[in-house]
Amino acid sequence: MASSLELLESIGIFSTMAKDELKKISDMVHPIKVKEGETLTQKGKTATTFFIIIRGNFMISFEKGKAITLHNKGDIMGWSALIPPFVYKGTIVALTDSEVLTIPGKDFYQLLQSDSALSDKIMKEINSIATARTPLTQ
Amino acid sequence: MNGLENISANDGWAIALMGVSIVFIGLILLSLCISQLHKIIDFWENIGKDKDIHRKKYITPPRESTAFQAPVLDEESETIRQYKVLVDRLEQPFSLTDLLEFAERVGLYNPHSTINYLLEKKIIIPDKNGYFIWTRQ
Repeated sequence: MASSLELLESIGIFSTMAKDELKKISDMVHPIKVKEGETLTQKGKTATTFFIIIRGNFMISFEKGKAITLHNKGDIMGWSALIPPFVYKGTIVALTDSEVLTIPGKDFYQLLQSDSALSDKIMKEINSIATARTPLTQ
Repeated sequence: MNGLENISANDGWAIALMGVSIVFIGLILLSLCISQLHKIIDFWENIGKDKDIHRKKYITPPRESTAFQAPVLDEESETIRQYKVLVDRLEQPFSLTDLLEFAERVGLYNPHSTINYLLEKKIIIPDKNGYFIWTRQ
């Protein structure tokens, strides 16, 4: 299996980052396997973990029965772990057996707070995703 | 001595209480036996059939392979038909979470990966507002 660093390099959101920047992130990354039907996050619960899809398909469900499905490597989930008030906006369920990278939200947030250049790159990506998904959360 | 005095003098109340207790305890034991009768019958019917029967019955089997196996043609059309019936009962465009809950409630096999299969085959497509549309008639 590829190392966390190699996995991060192959993911769109991190592809423009320098090696040393990626190294900082890869130190806090843990790959996990997820079973079909398993729930990663619950809407309204404290957001503790940020997820990046390596393999598999997920559904994120929001208020009023709205939902999106994610099928691509590099798609991110649980961005609420990086944005106050740190509460998940959706419930994430695996549609197939999958593999994701997990990053503890608190550690990642602290890293971004301490490194403005890195924060700019990451938050730009996250903001564009959050903007696209926000209408679904209301 | 009248009747009641006779009862008291010969421990009649205690004997009556004992009698009532024996009857009620007997009834409780009988009801417990009847409530467990199905297990005894089940055990009796399955003696010698399969030594591992209890394990099979009470331990949830592990999930099958991760990758959803695309159903063969007949199976595929049957799966699509089953999900179409469910979708028709939902408001259009429909909620994917409602469809998933519905499929789980009626006990369809592997609802998550089946819905994923329907999405990949574009039988279900998103309407861009968080809801989904069934594309096949």
